[in-house]
Amino acid sequence: MRITQPVLGRRALGALAAASVAGAARAQGVSGKVTVVTSFSNDVTGPFKRAFEAAHPGTTLDIQNRNTTAGVRFVQETRSNNAVDLFWASAPDAFEVLKRAGLLEVYKPQAEGIPERIGPYSINDPEGYVTGFAASGYGIMWNERYMRANRLPEPKEWSDLAKPAYHDHVIITAPSRSGTTHLTIETILQGEGWEKGWGTIKGFSGNLRQITERSFGVPDAVNSGQVGIGIVIDFFAFSAQGAGFPVKFAYPSVTTVVPANIAIVKNAPNTAGARAFIDFLLSQKGQEILLEPTIRRLPVNPSVYAKAPQGYPNPFTGSIGLPSLVFDVGVSEKRYRVVDALYDQTVGTNLEGLKRAAKAIGDVETRLARRDNAQARALLEEARALISAMPVTAEEAASDEVAGAFSGRSGPGPRQAELEQRWAGFAREKYTAAAAKAAEAAKAAG
Amino acid sequence: MSALAQETLLAREPAGIRVEGVDLSYGTTRVLRDVNLEIRPGEFFAFLGPSGCGKTTLLRLIAGFNTAQRGRVLVGGQDISDLPPWKRDVGMVFQSYALWPHMTVRRNVAFGLEERRVPRAEIGPRVDAALKLVGLEGMGERRPAQLSGGQQQRVALARTVAVRPKVLLLDEPLSNLDARLRVQVRRELRDLQQRLRLTTIFVTHDQEEANTVCDRIAVMNEGVVQQVGTPMELYDHPANLFVAGFLGTANIMPGTVLRDGAAQAFEIDGGTRIPLPPGLDVPAGARLMFRPQDVSLLPVGTEAPGRRLLEGEIVHREFLGASIRYGVRVAGAEVLVDTPHMGGEGHLPVGGRAALALDAARVKLLAA
Amino acid sequence: MATTPAIEAIEATVAAPPAPRARRWAARPGEALAFGLVALFLLAFLVVPVLTVITVAFQDRATGGFTLAHFGDFLSNDLFMRSFFNSLYVSLMSVAVASLIALPLAYFTTRFEFRGAILVQTLGVLPLIMPPFAGAVAMGLLFGRTGSVNLLLDEYLGINIPFMEGLNGVIFVQSIHYFPFILLNLTASLKNIDRAMEESAQNLGAHGFRLFRRIVLPLAMPGYIAGASLVFIKVFDDLATPLLLNVREMLAPQAYLRITSVGLEDPIGYVISVVLILFSVLSLWISSLALRGKDYATVQRGGGGLVKRRMSRGQAIAAYALIAAILLLVLAPHFGLFLLSIATIWSYSPLPDGYTLAHYTRVFAESSQYITNTLIYAGLAGLIDVIIGTTIAYLVLRTRMVGARWLDYVAMSALAVPGLVLGIGYLRTFFGITLPDGSSLAAFWGIIVLALAIRRLPYALRACMAAMQQISASLEEAAENLGARRLRVVRRIVLPLMAGGLAAGFVTSFATAAVELSATLMLVQSSDDAPLAYGLYVFMQSPAGRGAGAALGIIAVVIVGLSTWLSHLVAEHGGGRKSA
Repeated sequence: MRITQPVLGRRALGALAAASVAGAARAQGVSGKVTVVTSFSNDVTGPFKRAFEAAHPGTTLDIQNRNTTAGVRFVQETRSNNAVDLFWASAPDAFEVLKRAGLLEVYKPQAEGIPERIGPYSINDPEGYVTGFAASGYGIMWNERYMRANRLPEPKEWSDLAKPAYHDHVIITAPSRSGTTHLTIETILQGEGWEKGWGTIKGFSGNLRQITERSFGVPDAVNSGQVGIGIVIDFFAFSAQGAGFPVKFAYPSVTTVVPANIAIVKNAPNTAGARAFIDFLLSQKGQEILLEPTIRRLPVNPSVYAKAPQGYPNPFTGSIGLPSLVFDVGVSEKRYRVVDALYDQTVGTNLEGLKRAAKAIGDVETRLARRDNAQARALLEEARALISAMPVTAEEAASDEVAGAFSGRSGPGPRQAELEQRWAGFAREKYTAAAAKAAEAAKAAG
Repeated sequence: MSALAQETLLAREPAGIRVEGVDLSYGTTRVLRDVNLEIRPGEFFAFLGPSGCGKTTLLRLIAGFNTAQRGRVLVGGQDISDLPPWKRDVGMVFQSYALWPHMTVRRNVAFGLEERRVPRAEIGPRVDAALKLVGLEGMGERRPAQLSGGQQQRVALARTVAVRPKVLLLDEPLSNLDARLRVQVRRELRDLQQRLRLTTIFVTHDQEEANTVCDRIAVMNEGVVQQVGTPMELYDHPANLFVAGFLGTANIMPGTVLRDGAAQAFEIDGGTRIPLPPGLDVPAGARLMFRPQDVSLLPVGTEAPGRRLLEGEIVHREFLGASIRYGVRVAGAEVLVDTPHMGGEGHLPVGGRAALALDAARVKLLAA
Repeated sequence: MATTPAIEAIEATVAAPPAPRARRWAARPGEALAFGLVALFLLAFLVVPVLTVITVAFQDRATGGFTLAHFGDFLSNDLFMRSFFNSLYVSLMSVAVASLIALPLAYFTTRFEFRGAILVQTLGVLPLIMPPFAGAVAMGLLFGRTGSVNLLLDEYLGINIPFMEGLNGVIFVQSIHYFPFILLNLTASLKNIDRAMEESAQNLGAHGFRLFRRIVLPLAMPGYIAGASLVFIKVFDDLATPLLLNVREMLAPQAYLRITSVGLEDPIGYVISVVLILFSVLSLWISSLALRGKDYATVQRGGGGLVKRRMSRGQAIAAYALIAAILLLVLAPHFGLFLLSIATIWSYSPLPDGYTLAHYTRVFAESSQYITNTLIYAGLAGLIDVIIGTTIAYLVLRTRMVGARWLDYVAMSALAVPGLVLGIGYLRTFFGITLPDGSSLAAFWGIIVLALAIRRLPYALRACMAAMQQISASLEEAAENLGARRLRVVRRIVLPLMAGGLAAGFVTSFATAAVELSATLMLVQSSDDAPLAYGLYVFMQSPAGRGAGAALGIIAVVIVGLSTWLSHLVAEHGGGRKSA
């Protein structure tokens, strides 16, 4: 790939910073090939590759593009003869898996001026295995043409998505398939508590058209207008806007911020090169690249925002609302797979039942808005409670018996597949009952 | 089931076939040229000729698999030229038999009846009758692949006669059988044709097959019908050299016709003259033709009153059982001579000289 | 009679009662060697990698011992059972719809004087050379709920047809994508039917559809079943299309989701893999039962003129209209992808907002290595497949070697191995093996070729089998009788007669390998070694890159389409020589 000179020419300051880093790197003998496994697309990796190679003449950044899960498998499977220097991706859980498997190496980058946290979220792994280099906020993206054609109002908040008007117009990635969606779900659960949180989650899930398996499936569907509204990470929407799609994006007043990370792989063939690249990412120059229209992620260095265009969201100044809670990594870690499985079983495999019940409730709701009826309202509350009901409590979800079944540990408790079957059955029954209650409410409403 | 019952189930009023002025070509290749034929009802008729003479094309034309550029075909007085094959009611047995491998023998035979919407109750007896007719009762549940070549051929025949076609077309039906079976099957074919009184056309390149089973033969060459007649007529009175040569063995001597007023004679190249009856119309370029048995072999110097003598050297000899065939080189041409073989008689040695006595009444002058 | 004496001699030979197919004598050294080499290849590159992965399904996670508990979980789980029945339903429906598409195309082009038959058959292969996930993107844009067709229908008629909703979408995309398997096999089969078979039926009064149903179809059945079973298995095992259409409740997606989200240690994914393999073997077994005794080697070739039928004016118009409609449908993904490749923005509207060639410029500037890599990889894989396929077909059909049938089964089981599992198996098995230059065998690009060859071997193998099944053993015996040694018989008689089938096998292998992704994704070590489908996948994952991805897809279709067309010409040439 050719080095594009204008990119450097535009940023004199960046070039200066790069030169100093390059000098340091040469002193440490940085050269040769630095191999990166990444889930980021060409649009993201290209500018970094060009700038890094320009800053370190004699080095090449070899980009191996894999989706996150395949990348994790790849590093796991090739551990005996590792040829990868860096693992570079968004999803924090992927790094967690690699860290637990002992496949990462500690590195404390030399960059300065980077805080510990963005809102409640830690930027770096406390033990130093994983380094955050950027953040992205979660929010709501919609297709303007679709909204006009279907006469839908623009959604602002998560709770808006539970309104009857949006029924069958929303799309999301399964939390088990997307670390960022998982983080959103977990944030809602930690912020609102287990029961209420699931109520919120199931509220908007009842309006889903689809649950995709690929993170990109959501912006893809919204861009092309197949589905109107998507729950996505901000840069998907920004880069789609940059490409000219008729889409808009809004951060709800409370959102999740997801760090994008990088880590050195154990027994990396070119450790010096790997370190140099991490330092480059966190340098002023590297952080500025994040502001480019095709990338659009939030730098972790607050001072870089000075160079950002007007209206660029900044999590450090409150232009993106962040939850006030302190995100408990321990709780999240313990029930990670259980939460995913609960969503897959109670929403994913029972989406039809959930939607039917939600539709029935929504229909009655619309009628009650015109002519109220106390008895019908009460019945609707019962129906909502049935939908919100979960097969396990927060304590059970984190218990050794349940969490153990999902961690691969053997024990006296039930196997994962047994639990999943039980939960799916539970949800199906509740949704059927909820639909029946809604029918009763419809009768009561007259 | 009695033979009579079988025949009533399978026989029908025979129909004649007329072919009128048919021309057919593939691109620039003319395959049939002005073919006219009249085949009588109930007749066993043969198309005889070498490979590429157009006989199969003509047969397929009657069956409806070819289209003529000119002329028409009538069966039982009805013009069928514009009918598709499935409406012609003309039964054809293919050279390859074309038995459907995915059906049992019974299903193969029943096929045509089913296509004709024959009532189910009637199909069974007719299939049985057809199988019995060809001697394959009890083989109905077999698959074609489990049958011998001869049996396959019978199934193909049964399949065709089961539908009681107006006429039966046989495309080289004996060519895929071994020699002993051929003789047997051709008798059976003749027998079956007689019993069903079915107008039948038999395509073959083997004159012996045609002679033994057919009532009349059309000899074809290069897309043209050369002559039509009974086997004996064709043999005794061939219309041209091709027919003479194709049916039986013929000695053909080149020469010139000499005319002296009303008297004419044929001078064989090399000198011998044979006087011709006055008034005989001799076509231009004619050659002298006689059969090997129409000439006798005599020791050199023998007198033979009324017969013309030619002299030559015996170059080969074949013992044929009832006769001995000598090859005698006469004036550059080789003449075949058949002499009857009586037990104990000697024979003339190869390399010796002999005289040939030729009966002027039995020679013919034929154009090419 | 237009035939030459030589042909008549052949007819006389082949019309003799069919000789028994299998030889009675024991294996010759050459055959044993061929068997050994093929067995070794399959063992090293299919059996061992898959077994290393599959053992997990039967392993107790605590003790490492044997257990069937995971299978119990599978059977008692509603989701998995529903997925199983959905897979079954989608596969059967896809076969049915694919047949509706393939039958008229195959029949009209082989049985009538049909102008543009080659064009139809080449266009008919195009769907195979389109990566299914790219095709699904295009189909969504055209036929989705807010796709071009439904937007127009909604505007003018006020209706919305759920082409792409749920399982419908999978059936729709799959039948359009995989019907060429039926088309190719059926066409080959139809071309080999002796016309006398049809003519004798016409002579007995059958015509039109009844003739087709009662004679032509049954005779073409071996080819049809070969194609249909491929479609069935392929759809049953396919992963990318349902995933892209967001249909999770099918077996293969469930296996993939389990392995990639729950983790490589989760046994259920492996249990599903085992179920997929079992089911594929079962359906192959059923199709082989259905074909038993239907040895339609058409031994009477050449009799009569093989003239194609001419259609009446009305028939011709109807036929051309039908074919045009089918081709329009079949080429819709290509059309959609092409539009996408020249579109500026295409969102919630019947047609893109504007057009540009920028995507092509970008692809040619940045990604030409994808194209050359693909040609090399897929070409090599196709070659390997045809060689191994012919060898196996020969061993199975022409020798009575113990275990030859098993080579067939093992090779076919590759169909049931999800690409992901094969990829993981390769990494596990070959990563420890070091090449002379110090790098790992798994990092060598040749391993991608081998994975592609294994993945596509079943298609080539079926095509080789069908081609050899159509050749009467007596043709080979005649050659042996004339003094040809075994290897020469294969070279001079068998291979020329199989040329059409072999070309079909190569084309199928090559074209589908060129768009294979699932195994490739695991095995690509560097973008310099990556094939086109991988590049396409990478481009398709970014909003700014979809146009470029589509452009790459169109380039793929054009290149592979051209190669396919060339091989078709070669096959036609071989066929012409065969029946001269």
